[in-house]
Amino acid sequence: MTDTTERTFALPDLGEGLVEATVLEWLAAPGDRIGRNAPLVELETTKSAVEIPSPYAGTVVRLHAEEGEVVQVGSALVTFAVEGPAGEADDGAAGQAGIVGRVPQDGEAPRRRVRLRPPEE
Amino acid sequence: MTGTITEAAGAADASAPRVREMSMQQAVNAALRTVLREDPRTLVFGEDVGALGGVFRVTDGLQEEFGAERVFDTPLAESAIIGMAVGLAMNGWRPIPELQFDGFAYPAVDQIVNQLARMNYRSRGAVPMPVTLRLPSFGGIQAPEHHGESLEALFAHVPGLKVCAPCDPQDAYRLLLQSVRCDDPVVYMEPKARYWDRRPVELAHDPGDMPVGRSRVLRRGRHATLVAWGAMVHRCLQAAEYAAEDGVELEVVDLRWLKPIDAEGLAASAARTRRAVVVHEAPLTAGLGAEVSALVTERAFGALAAPVERVAGFDVPYPAGPLEPQYLPTIDRILSAVQRTLEYKRP
Amino acid sequence: MDQVLSGEVPLRYAVEGDPAAPGEAPPVLLLHGYGSNHELNWLRTGWPAALEGRALIAPDLRGHGGSGKPGDDGAYTPERIAGDMVRLLDALGADRVDAVGYSMGARNAWELALRHPGRVRRLVLAGFGPRDPFAGADLHALDRDSSPFGRMHRVAGTVPGNDLDALAACARGQASRPFTPEPAPGVPMLFAAGERDAVAADAEELAASCGAEVVRVPGRDHANAVSARALKEAVRGFLAVEAPAGGPR
Repeated sequence: MTDTTERTFALPDLGEGLVEATVLEWLAAPGDRIGRNAPLVELETTKSAVEIPSPYAGTVVRLHAEEGEVVQVGSALVTFAVEGPAGEADDGAAGQAGIVGRVPQDGEAPRRRVRLRPPEE
Repeated sequence: MTGTITEAAGAADASAPRVREMSMQQAVNAALRTVLREDPRTLVFGEDVGALGGVFRVTDGLQEEFGAERVFDTPLAESAIIGMAVGLAMNGWRPIPELQFDGFAYPAVDQIVNQLARMNYRSRGAVPMPVTLRLPSFGGIQAPEHHGESLEALFAHVPGLKVCAPCDPQDAYRLLLQSVRCDDPVVYMEPKARYWDRRPVELAHDPGDMPVGRSRVLRRGRHATLVAWGAMVHRCLQAAEYAAEDGVELEVVDLRWLKPIDAEGLAASAARTRRAVVVHEAPLTAGLGAEVSALVTERAFGALAAPVERVAGFDVPYPAGPLEPQYLPTIDRILSAVQRTLEYKRP
Repeated sequence: MDQVLSGEVPLRYAVEGDPAAPGEAPPVLLLHGYGSNHELNWLRTGWPAALEGRALIAPDLRGHGGSGKPGDDGAYTPERIAGDMVRLLDALGADRVDAVGYSMGARNAWELALRHPGRVRRLVLAGFGPRDPFAGADLHALDRDSSPFGRMHRVAGTVPGNDLDALAACARGQASRPFTPEPAPGVPMLFAAGERDAVAADAEELAASCGAEVVRVPGRDHANAVSARALKEAVRGFLAVEAPAGGPR
């Protein structure tokens, strides 16, 4: 029995100062199993149309925008169920940070195990 | 997103404090607008800072507002970017070059060390170098190689350079104004991992009572002092929250200026709490933590109840993105070091 | 990985697979549209996955992307661009290709098939029709031209790496050789475009005169048909070895 974790993928920064994109066509539907890098969604910006590959291997749980809807960079696009325990990779709704990297998530402080004992005074 | 900045920075009434919630990206952007507006000699340039507005949108909209003669793109040639800054500064300009990522500074080290840092000395003070080198720095965003380096020790070691690293939007705004208004070259290190951190920022035109080289205490505590800069300040504040649950009160010092370093401020805090732990992302060996440890020991030795502890990155090349959580100082490593200082018994 | 073919006008291109490998299915040569480049037109729109299994050759046309950008209009005629393609195919050891062009890329793929009949097996003309794409445009004042082409030109100017002067020269060079349906290349052709593509409005007319089919993608226009799944599926089917090709005229 493997754990599954929900991961939400936010609209990545498509570069060149673009702040939003229109969903042209979903290439996967809720319930579909999808491979990493498989075609996920087709988007259009003011400059071009792009096909976004899936960032995960897993099952599509929810689409957060209808075809024809405008989505802001950083807004949720799709939620996946992926195999693996929670907290393995803390990049759920992170989205891309720009041309490189990911936005760190501050939602909750990292967990700790170490406990302290106050000094005797 | 940038509309907020324009509106905030655009209000010309300098007397009224103007507070807006904004991210660190927007705070740096607002500071750049302020200096571009107040001083016609300032210039912003670097890779993709113009038309694109920077890979992190920090220079978004600046070219539109100030024109392509003052905000412009350069070739992908870091040595040339700094060389140009040196030449412009020699001719009376106040350049604010950006090197796109920390690791991209290495190709420019010759210009930084051999020209920028020593021109003032070489000219017997006749040629100041009012250059602010903006350097998106440190790790935490799972970026590829050369995008997560911590170069503060390298630059702090070079005579003639000043080095600072803000940890929140307000200080990012304040430190950038100070850096640009300073007649010496300043390496201004922006913690990429905190770019999206949103907080209220007062767009005051006067950096106020925080002179160059002054650290600040962000949290008071009596059992031990945590010293950090950049994104690690935030992590130390989280560690202090946890410690408080256990009845341990940690003081958190945001160093801010890494050169000149606030030796007196550090020593004063360590003398109060009698214990100090310095935290940084850079590899341990010959990192700036060694300097902090030495300064505290030299100035507060008699007051210390335990040796100064260092929690740092490991002595390995900065790892690929997925390994960042293993490399960067964790809450547990910080708390363990604190515990060692609490338990320390003199032999 | 991008490579550059040196020469008087250097050409940047991307290659997938081995274009010189012997086999039944030749490599696919992908020619992008005006103001675009191989990456925006083909890679970011998901074409490599759609054509998986086929070797791909995707150049930046001269005046575009990472390729050389001559300043004179005469450097951008369809015959010069077709000449670039032959030079590239020679360098890669690709004797014959299936050529897929979008918009201006289709115009030049047509030219390639017409002038170098042995080099093209099948031809896909996407986002393309016989209408004059420059209609109503003042090609000497594109910076303030209000025609549809003028507006597209200025959007192209915001793509990093584009040089508006070179693009304008390219437009004039292309316009100096107005498209004529006759003579047509003697290879099997497929026309494909968005239903609302104004540039390809009369594609049916041209296709009929070439004995070719037209695939229309519902709801799509000139700007957004290129990434459509329906378009890719039609092209993949048409280029598949086992598919009936339809005889040359």
